[in-house]
Parts: sequence; C-alpha cells; structure tokens
Amino acid sequence: MSTTIDVDDDSPVHPGEHHDHGPSDRTYWKVFWILVAITALEVSTYFWDVWFGESSWSLAVPLLLLLMVVKFVLIASVFMHLRFDSKLLTRIFYFGLATACIVYLVALSVMNIFTDNGNPWFNDPPPAVTPSAVVTGETGPGGMGD
Amino acid sequence: MTDVALEPMDDLEFPDDVHATSTGISNPKLAMWTYLASDCLLFGGLISTYLLYRNRPGNIPGLSGSNLRASELFNIPFTSMTSFILLMSSLTMVLAVNSAIRKDAERVRLWLIATSVLGAMFLGGQIYEFTEFVREGLGFTSNVSASAFFTLTGLHGAHVAVGVLMLLSASVYSVRRQLNAEAVETLGLYWHFVDIVWVVIFAIVYLIP
Repeated sequence: MSTTIDVDDDSPVHPGEHHDHGPSDRTYWKVFWILVAITALEVSTYFWDVWFGESSWSLAVPLLLLLMVVKFVLIASVFMHLRFDSKLLTRIFYFGLATACIVYLVALSVMNIFTDNGNPWFNDPPPAVTPSAVVTGETGPGGMGD
Repeated sequence: MTDVALEPMDDLEFPDDVHATSTGISNPKLAMWTYLASDCLLFGGLISTYLLYRNRPGNIPGLSGSNLRASELFNIPFTSMTSFILLMSSLTMVLAVNSAIRKDAERVRLWLIATSVLGAMFLGGQIYEFTEFVREGLGFTSNVSASAFFTLTGLHGAHVAVGVLMLLSASVYSVRRQLNAEAVETLGLYWHFVDIVWVVIFAIVYLIP
C-alpha cells in the first residue's frame, strides 16, 4: 500500500534528531477515516452469521486478524510516528511485540489451545459433572484438580 | 548542552531544550518506547490467559462457580461505539502533538482536553459494561473465564485512567507555560499504545467467537 504523506517540514520536535518530521493534520484525518472504515468492517463481521450463515465465520476470523494487524500497523507507523522516526525505535518496539507473540504462541501451543487434546479443562468446555464425580473428586482426564 | 535562546510566544512557550544523546533520540522518548515494548509482553500474557480460559466454565467438581461466560453478555454495538470513541481520541491526540510542534498553545490545550474527555467517556463505557455484567451475575470471582476477562479489560481500563490523568496534568502544565512539544509527543505515544492494545482486545476478545 503506497500512500502520499503531507510532511510538515518546518516543525522540528527535536532539533538535531535524525528523522523526517510528522505528517500534516490532513494526513491524520485521512488515516483516521481509514481506521473508522476498517473498524466498521470489523464490526460488520459480527452480523455475518445472520446475513450469510454460520459458514461465513471461516472467512471472518482470518479477515478480523488481518484487519487488526492493518489497524495496529497504521496507528504505530503514522499516529506514533514510527514511519518518520529513528529506525531504532521501530526495532525496539517490534522486538518487544515479536517476543511477546513468540513466547505466548509457544505457551498456547504447549497447552494445546490450537488442537483438541482431549483435556476438557483448557479451552474446551468440560464434560457434564455427575454427582458421583463430585463425591470421588474426579475431574476428568488430565484435570487440574488431580 | 548548548543554551537555546527562546523566542517569546503569544501564549505558551515550548522550550526546545533537548539534550544531545548518542542515539540522537531524546531519553524520555527512548524510555517510553522501551516501556511500551515491555507492555506488549504484559498484555500478551493477559490476552493469552483469556484465550486459554475463555471457554472454561465454573462448574469445577467440588467448587461452586457460574457457568456464565463474558462472551455471552457482550453488547457488540455498545463496545463498537466505545472503540470508536477511543479511536477518535487517538486523532485528537495527534492533532495536539501537531499543534505543539507548531507552538499553537491554545489548540494544544483544546486537543489535550478533548482527548481526556474522550478517554473518560471510554472509561465510563467500560464501567457501565462491567456494571451490567455484575448485574447479570458475572463478577470477578464467578469463574476463571470471568477473572481472565476482568483482569485483561480492567488493566487496560487502568492504563486509560492513568492516561486521562496525565492528559489533564499536561493541560494544567500548558496553562502554567511548563509544557514542551516533546512532552506532548511522549504522552501521545502512551495514549496511542492504549488505543493499539484496545484494537487487539476488541478483535480477539469481543469479535472473534
């Protein structure tokens, strides 16, 4: 995606700092309306099962993730000036973000959130509790109460 | 550090007293970005915890707990409106930063106050949502899923509340002529990060079933 940014060159925030100066108010308004449109599209997916049937969720989930990433990058690069600031700041922020994504994706994978591992106590609803299970303290396979 | 001669402003002065650093980036800004990077890990952990427990109800054998889940009580049109309010506050924040760069003191104050009002409206929406959940019987200790939800969204709300306080403080400082453009920009970074986190929470927690 290539966009034209109106740069406000006569407005130094940090004299001597090596970066291009931020965009104009008009550019911010443009980005804002793009973000509003994306949010509206996101919210519309909530009604997709009524409009297009339950099978539409298979398309809605990846679309929601994609739109979330687009909004994230737009805000970080334009509103937070990462696109115009020192590359060091971009590296610092995205390093933290990448570390978080990797660590937690590994943690969630280890706990089998992406697969049905048969453990009813993580993510999937547990089996119905019977009175005998309560008396014997039975908590299901691999249960946390073991 | 060299002394910079300040030209008198009509209303407010924005001293350009930036210290020279080896990175060419001012220390407060570098510190803020480092903090925001570390905050990604905090919110990542809380979002992961919610994903892990969101479908886990409270009928654990031998323990009492509600089977109600936060996702059953979501009011998406209402939350969409509060999301729009937070997005709008990001716009007013960047307009405040641009006004500070242009040394337009009056507009800086205007946009800072507008941002804090929008932030307070978002907080009000969140308090209303929490109140509705509690009224429906879903409290912080109802079940693990509810605890994960309230911890995640509550901590985000706490970040917004801190942001609103900082915005109001900045407005006061601007009246006292003690605010510079860099401070407004650094405050803006924090505020946009709060918005970015909500973008993720709104999509993952509220919209994806």
